[in-house]
Order: sequence, then C-alpha cells, then structure tokens
Amino acid sequence: MLKDKQFDIFIASHIGSFKHVKYYTESAKNSKKCLENLVSIKSLEKKDGITAMSWSNEHQTEIILAKKNGVIQYYDTEQGKFTKSYRMDVDTQSIVGVGQHENTLLAGVSSGFVKICAKTNESVITVGGKIDKMRIFQDDTTLFATGGQENDLKVWRLGETEPVFSAKNRPHDWLQLRVPIWVSDLAFMPGQGGNILAICSRYGYVRLYDTRAQRRPVCNVDFQNGMAATCLQPSFDDRQVLVGFGRGQLHQVDLRRGKPDKGYKGSVGGVTDIGINREQRLVVTTSLDRHLRVHSYDTKELVYKLYVTSKPSNVLIQTATSTPLLNPPQFEEKQEEIKEEDSDDLDELFDEMVPVREKRRKKDQNDLETENTKLETKIEDIGEVKPSTEGSTDVGIEDSIEDKEAKIMQLLKSTERQKRRMEKRKREKKAKSVFYNA
Amino acid sequence: MARGKDKKKRKLEKKQEGDDVPKKVPHTLESLREKDETMLANVDEEEKEEAQKDMELDEMSSYFQNAYEPKVLITYSDNPHTKTRIFGKELMRIIPNSLSRYRQRSSVKRIVQSAIRESYTDVVIVNENQKQPNGFLLIHLPSGPTAHFRLSSCKITPELRKDYKEITNHRPEVILNNFSTRLGLTVGRMLGAMFHYEPQFKGRRVVTFHNLRDYIFFRHHRYEFTSDGKRAKLRELGPRFTLKLVSLQQGTFDSKHGDYEWIIAGRRHFMETSRRKFFL
Repeated sequence: MLKDKQFDIFIASHIGSFKHVKYYTESAKNSKKCLENLVSIKSLEKKDGITAMSWSNEHQTEIILAKKNGVIQYYDTEQGKFTKSYRMDVDTQSIVGVGQHENTLLAGVSSGFVKICAKTNESVITVGGKIDKMRIFQDDTTLFATGGQENDLKVWRLGETEPVFSAKNRPHDWLQLRVPIWVSDLAFMPGQGGNILAICSRYGYVRLYDTRAQRRPVCNVDFQNGMAATCLQPSFDDRQVLVGFGRGQLHQVDLRRGKPDKGYKGSVGGVTDIGINREQRLVVTTSLDRHLRVHSYDTKELVYKLYVTSKPSNVLIQTATSTPLLNPPQFEEKQEEIKEEDSDDLDELFDEMVPVREKRRKKDQNDLETENTKLETKIEDIGEVKPSTEGSTDVGIEDSIEDKEAKIMQLLKSTERQKRRMEKRKREKKAKSVFYNA
Repeated sequence: MARGKDKKKRKLEKKQEGDDVPKKVPHTLESLREKDETMLANVDEEEKEEAQKDMELDEMSSYFQNAYEPKVLITYSDNPHTKTRIFGKELMRIIPNSLSRYRQRSSVKRIVQSAIRESYTDVVIVNENQKQPNGFLLIHLPSGPTAHFRLSSCKITPELRKDYKEITNHRPEVILNNFSTRLGLTVGRMLGAMFHYEPQFKGRRVVTFHNLRDYIFFRHHRYEFTSDGKRAKLRELGPRFTLKLVSLQQGTFDSKHGDYEWIIAGRRHFMETSRRKFFL
C-alpha cells in the first residue's frame, strides 16, 4: 500500500506574496487549507514583486528572495520568519537570480552585472550584455552561469573576472543568416560536476553545452515558431530537461536523442517556473493563469491544481526537510480505523451473502407474483369507476385542501372528465356499429 | 403516460397554491454555471484581500486612481474597406479623446512604440476579413496587458438605420456587466480603462459591455428618465458588436515571444469541458 507522504512547496508571486503549500500524495488531503501566506498582504506595495528565489544551502532550510525594489530577504523555514535583509540599488532593473556561497551572496541584475557581496567587501562582475537569468550550481557553489538576450551562456567562477566558459553561437543557417540568441533560462545538469549545462530560449530552442568538449552546443532542439521557452529544469534522468513555454505548454526534452519527449497538459497561461520532486516523481509548475499544478511524471496526468490568487513567479520544492504549517488543518483519523477492520468486515459480508443464482430465481418468482396482482388490480380499477374518487388519487393533496371551493372545483373537473370519457366510448361504439352495418 | 399525468397533477397543485408563492428561478446555462474557484464571490476573506491587492498593483490601477486621462489610438488592418472605416470612425465618436489613423503598413510593435512616445494610453486595432471587421486587439500602454478579441455581428449605424451624428461629444457612462472571474475582472478593467473616468451626465449617453456566456455584447444608448423617474427610456445609437476573448497577454503585443496570461488556442478540448463552464 502507498504510504501517505508529504512535501513542501514555496511560491513567490509577482505582487510580492510568498506562500507555503503542503502537498500530500494522498490526494484527498489536499485542499485550500494547506496553503498559507508567509507575508502579510496588506503591507504589499508596487515594488514588492518577487523576481528571483533560491535555496541558500543544501539542507533547504533557508530561502533567498529578491524583490523588484532591490531588497534581498532571507526566510528561515525552521523558525518560520524572515531573518536578514539587504538592500541593493538597482533603480529600474530587476534581480534575475540569487545564490549563496558560504557567506557570500550573489545577485544577478538584469542590466548586465553580478553583484558579489561578501562580509567585508563587495565586488561587481560585468557580464557583457543584458541578462535574463543567473543561476548558481548547487553542488559546487563557486560556479555560476549567466545568459540573456543577445548575450550567450557564460559560466563564471567566484574570484575570477574572466568567464570559465563562454558559449559560441551555432553556425549561420542555410540562408547564411545569424541565429539569434535569447537565453531565457539555464540549468546545470546535476551530477556532472558543472560541466554540462542546458539552456532554453524565447526563440524556441533548447541547447545542451558540454564545457569540456566544445564552445558550441553539443545538442540543439528546435521547436516550431511561436514556442517561446520561458523556464527549464533538469528532469529525472540525466540529459533530460523539462521546458515550460510562454503559451502554456510544458514539454520534456530528451537531449540525448535531440527530440521533444512528452508533453504535460493543463496550463492555460504561460509557465513561469518548474519544480520537481524526485522521490515521488512529480512535476510542479506555476503559471501566469494563477494556478499551481502538479503532474505525475510518468503518467503525464494532472494530479492536483490549486488557485493561488496572484500570478506566481517562482516555485521551490522542499524535500530534504519538511516545514509544518502554522495552522495545520485537522484530518479525521476515522478512515484508518476502518481500514484496519477491513478484512473482518469483508468476511462477514461474504458469509451473509446468498449465492447469486438462488436469489435470482426467487426474484423471478416474486416478479411474477407482483405482476399477477397488478393485473388483478387493474381489472378491478376498470370495473368500478367512482367519480368521487377520481380526482383524489393523492392523499397528500386532499389533506392540503381545506377550502370547500377547491374541493368542489376538483369534483367538477373529475365529473367533466368522466363525461368526456363516456362520450368518447359512445362515439367509438357508433363507429363500430356503422362499420358493422356497412 | 406517467409524465403527462404528473404534469396535470403539478398544474392542479400550482392552481391550488395560488399567486402568493414566489416564482421559481428557471434553470438556465447561466444559473447552473459551474462553480469557478477564481470568482470573488466564492473565495474566503484572505483570498479576497489578496485579489484586491493584486488588482491594486496591476497595470490598470493608475487609471482607477484617476491618475491620467485615457488617450486612445484606433487603427485598422491594412487597406480597410468602407464598413471597417466607418466602424472605426464611430468608435472614435464613442471613445472620448481618441484618434483614428490608417495603419500605413506599420507593424503592431512599431505602432505600440510610437504610441507610447506620443503618450497614448491604449491602442485599438480593428482587423478586417472579407470586408467585415472580425478582430479587435486592445493594448494597454505602456506595459500591457494585451487582449485579443474576436469581433462578430458588427452592425454600424447605417445598417441600424441610425445617424452617426446623433452621437454627441459628451463623455459617456460605461456599464460593465457580469465580469465575475479573475480573468473577467481584468478584461472588464481593460475595457473600462479606454473611457474617461468622469462621464458627462448631460449627454445621457451610456456604453454597455455586457458579458453573457463569455460573449461580450456592446451596445450604445441614449437614455431619458420617464416623468415619474422610475424607468428610463432607451434609444439605441449604434454601433453594436460582440466580442469574444481569444487571448490575454502579459506586456504589450508580442505574439511570438510573449507570455500569455490566458490563451485558448490549442487547448480548447480540455478547457471547454462543459456547456456550463464560462471563463469570464
């Protein structure tokens, strides 16, 4: 039997709300009550929208949140509150990625630089061109990668000013035209030592880079026109990624065969972020239609859908530890008791049961008898027709009638009906006789 | 047989009950509408508050704080025919502070750029097919959203045997009916934000966007209160048309690389699961 398991989902939104959802694999337990706001909504302002979110450590106990106004906050899931906050001046730009290496905080700003804030000193790396995404490699936090519009993938190491790896665009296409670049999301493939990266683009391609092999992509998968990829996440097997699109599609791409693999349906708005749970084999997505969706990875089936009220921008999944809800919903424990008694109940049931065949015979006999009685009653009905009882077939009605007038009305009606019937019979008789005469 | 008998019985019962029993509400597709979790009426206090906040912080919020006067640019697909031109002209008379211009083969993205430069707040693009207007693209500036509607059963004033000169220059009142889901609210707010927030009641002009089963019906009337002041007499001024939402996009128009908030193309089969399910 499947044991009921649970994990935690953290959702950040475009208006600045930050939510915690507890997901139970036993689908009956999931409800709106498993959702909690961690930020008071009344205090939100225009520039509070959350643009980037990340775990600060491997144990998944602390979340870094970056807001539109340049404030970076730390949320401790164990204590259930915000612990630290920094402010960066980014004017109209936004922070597109955050990460932490020991005591150093990294923040990628969309105008094209990465800020590195250690305890004592602060340094800035200019990336060259605008960036749409910055991600840190969770296995080796000194590595991070950037990419954006007309600014191809670059991998950097902390403490160095030159990139460790900078990607080269694909050769010109068959019309000798340059292939445009727009890195919308990127990911280090896990367990590869930071050597293998995947990117997706708003121009509709997914590429795989191997930093050891060559600067050009090792694998390129093109989608048809109009499929703007917005987010990417390494999937369950290596060299497989899940890609979300601006029109709401979600596909798995196999970068070994170089083909799109399977699609997950259900989203009505653009996918904003993907998270996966390796243990339960679930895919969690947030999309601009203000819903959180959970798909089963293997069956592609939509398991759960939750309305989160505001447009979610990022999602994080906590599997290493778990966080209790502040006000946990009460579940009735009755179901389990029943399950324990299940086997005895079944035995009793079987004992009580009568073999099917005998029962049917009995039933048949009964049916015959009832039919016979029915026929008899019918004959009786036809035999005696009393005008007074005609209208009052229903006892309830008679009780409800208190006015005499109503009663009289009914009587009149029934007599009328009687008359009509008699006339009809007469007519029929006449007709018959005429026919007979003829 | 049995049903007929029942019917008679029911009729009798009804007669006995008399007139003082309140009339039952007939079951229609609308009254039996499937419950929508995003409808403000169905959510609890906390979510309501968040939805309010969400609307306070969206792109149209500054209009609803009366921070600016809307300025609308109306344009067409290339080489519009007479009906579309007249339709646009009539729209121009309906929407205060609006300007109708031919497109001159400019792209939507360039129109949007220059409209932002000229401090327009909305752009309307009327598309035409087979001499009939059939598309209505509404772009809120400067940072979206963009709504694309299918436009149908458009009747311009000559077709209604009316005169466009009857449409006065007064700023009209705007009625937005039945926009109940979260998506519907956004669409309603976008449509409302085309018009000036302060109507001139002297003109007695009223513009209605009535949402019925996801079709948005546009009507334009002049009203006059009867002498006892209880009812209003209506005179339709025209034009009339029907809109149906095709997609709602975040940001200004970018159909290739943009993010959609709601789009029905390609997922009609799993979205339209029931006749009683409506999105607006």
